[in-house]
Amino acid sequence: MKYILKVFSATFMSLILSFSIANASSGVFKVSHDLGFGKDTNLDAITKGRLFQVVIKTQNRLVRPDLNGVPSPSLSTDWSANSDATEWTFNLRKGIYFHDGSAFDAPDVKYSLMRAKDPDIGSPVRKSLNVVEDIEVVDQHTVKMKLSTSFADFPLLLTDYRLRMIPEGSGDIIGQTGVGTGPFMVDKFDPEGTTILKANPEYWEGAPGVAEVHVIAIPDAQARIQALLTGQIDMNRYVPFNQKKIFDSNSKFKTTVIPTGNWRGVVMRTDTAPFDNPKVRKAFRMAVDRQELVDLVMGGAATVSCDTPVMPSDQYRLQMDCPQNISKAKNLLREAGFPNGLELTVYPASLEPTWPTIAEVVQQQVAKAGIKVNIEMVPSKGYWNEVWMKKPVSMTRWNQRPADTILHEAYHSGAKWNESYFKNADFDKNLADARSELDFNKRKKAYQNAQMTLWEQSGTMIPYHVSRLVVTSSKVKNLDAVDHFSIQWHKVKVD
Amino acid sequence: MESNLITEDKQKNKLEKAFEILKTMASKPSGLIGLTIVLLHVVLALISPYIAPYDYKAISPNTMLLAPSAEHWFGTDSLGRDVFTRTILGGRTALTVTFFGSLIALLWGGLLGIFCGLVGGKIDDVVMRVVDAFLSIPWILAMLLIVSLLGTSTEVLIPALGFFYGKGIVRVARAATHDVIAKDFIVSARARGHSNMSIIWNEIIPNVRDAILVEGAMRWSWMLLGFSSLSFLGFGVSPPTPDWGLMISNARGLMSFAYWSVIAPIVGLSSLIIGINLTADAFAKALGIDRSTKAPV
Repeated sequence: MKYILKVFSATFMSLILSFSIANASSGVFKVSHDLGFGKDTNLDAITKGRLFQVVIKTQNRLVRPDLNGVPSPSLSTDWSANSDATEWTFNLRKGIYFHDGSAFDAPDVKYSLMRAKDPDIGSPVRKSLNVVEDIEVVDQHTVKMKLSTSFADFPLLLTDYRLRMIPEGSGDIIGQTGVGTGPFMVDKFDPEGTTILKANPEYWEGAPGVAEVHVIAIPDAQARIQALLTGQIDMNRYVPFNQKKIFDSNSKFKTTVIPTGNWRGVVMRTDTAPFDNPKVRKAFRMAVDRQELVDLVMGGAATVSCDTPVMPSDQYRLQMDCPQNISKAKNLLREAGFPNGLELTVYPASLEPTWPTIAEVVQQQVAKAGIKVNIEMVPSKGYWNEVWMKKPVSMTRWNQRPADTILHEAYHSGAKWNESYFKNADFDKNLADARSELDFNKRKKAYQNAQMTLWEQSGTMIPYHVSRLVVTSSKVKNLDAVDHFSIQWHKVKVD
Repeated sequence: MESNLITEDKQKNKLEKAFEILKTMASKPSGLIGLTIVLLHVVLALISPYIAPYDYKAISPNTMLLAPSAEHWFGTDSLGRDVFTRTILGGRTALTVTFFGSLIALLWGGLLGIFCGLVGGKIDDVVMRVVDAFLSIPWILAMLLIVSLLGTSTEVLIPALGFFYGKGIVRVARAATHDVIAKDFIVSARARGHSNMSIIWNEIIPNVRDAILVEGAMRWSWMLLGFSSLSFLGFGVSPPTPDWGLMISNARGLMSFAYWSVIAPIVGLSSLIIGINLTADAFAKALGIDRSTKAPV
């Protein structure tokens, strides 16, 4: 009997032990970043140099997009608006703590969001948040946001990947500490080397599946692919489609194709000659064969866009066709005073692996309209500081955002990241009208009018919205097949 | 009339000497192979625009990554361009840039080295320390800095490569001048009151020319590798110019399933480098220069 009891006890203890081991965080998940912001790289989500590969794992938003892109609860459990959608009340999750041990409550929300509006910080997200006039702390777990105008889609705005909650008063140090309420905590921040994140065992959605995340700086795109092939990293979300075959035939890797709202483009500064003439800009954009770009650069895995940044699945997207039209492009150039065509230089860097190829293909396409494109490769490191928004023509890439956010952020005359220096009163008015319009159809019409203005006037050629080829090591499990900013990182496991 | 005859005789002698050197070089298998490869590349570079079967810029989604076939001997690349066309034209760019770059290196490196060797003293000390300082800087970093500031046109690349590959020639030319300078004919030229320029031109250059030429030939192959490295990193010639380094860089990610797009430029580049090296070695031997004791610096 004693023997049976001993065996039973031993078995029971083993079961408990194995159960607790199974639920503990274990393994290391290794990812990379491109060091695109060079020495300005930091962990303050609202700044230009934010290392988003880290902050999306260490900090939470009030509202996040679910796997279908619909606003869903995160640090806010539920929300409601007054009748004209000018006041929004958010109830906060209780019992949540930051990595530094302080409790998360309403003053933190007010601090985090009002800080993003601070003109001294000059956050790129400031323009989108201008609609928020004040945030009232109703009680420790309730905030009321007062808007300058009606805004029916306000919760959608709060799903922006940069609107992360940080402890009140931590603004001066957040760029180095990255403290938040997220599933991982910053253990070592080394932007030019390996940044190490440790699992947060107290995470409110449950302990993360992996014990550590290593975020390694690898500026070159091909080097990141080699790093994946050799096991230095476990995931690469920027693999060009023409290299899919390498991984498809290898059982050590898993490939997933994800339609996204991310886009690539060529930006002409509208404040710089000859691109200060809308006809020149439109001529360039009309000379591009977008479907050929999709086929050659993306292997067909993208959706053609007619210079709208609004993603294909967005309810406000303007659907239109924009086939290559060389004769129209030539006419526009003639009307603009360039009957013999014009010459321009574009500056791609390899930090985005498709940029050099886009530049090469566009070079051939627009040559038919008499536009000679010179291509000058520039270093990846520091591209965003030294080339983008500096040179007359540069390459760009954007992650997906809701229609209102991307239209404000990339094109509103007062936006910090208005990369083409686009200024158009009609466009700005349409955005303002759309925000304050409570009728869905009228709101949609206003957003689509704004996109039509972009087609006629803008300086940014957006050929397509990409489908993302995500390649992971087959050791990686439970990774949501969605874009970066909707992934539930705490669920990821590495065998 | 008599002076014309003397000049013609001199030219005839020079031609005969050049022919003799070529014959000596070709008498050894390695020299013959080297010469043949270089000659093949030079001929191909000259005639490639006329024999290229396709437009090197022509992109098409319909011909992406086609394997070698009767239509496309070396297959096509990821933008549907003919790899054979781009490979034969790629040699043209590499040869042009590095040939003129080597000429510049020879000229400034050789003349400065000879001048320093002749005048000696403080000028020599100062110049050689400056050359040493430049030699200590990794050339690739300096080149990256230059192309970042001035762009990647051939007008920038040729003089920049010529400058960086001429530093080593300064040392070789100076050392060769030191060997010559103590000879009686230099002392006698000085005694006759000849100027430094006259001594350099009439006495030293004819005696150090061979050593400098051999060094220049070796530097040519190094420069070729350097130029292709720059292109590989994206800082050589600009697309869509066909260039071996750029072609290798663009196709390296496809190596495991579209090997043809990367093998052709690799063979082109490596065969030319081997050819130039073998030719330079045979050249040195034909001139009686032992390169093992005149190692490049």
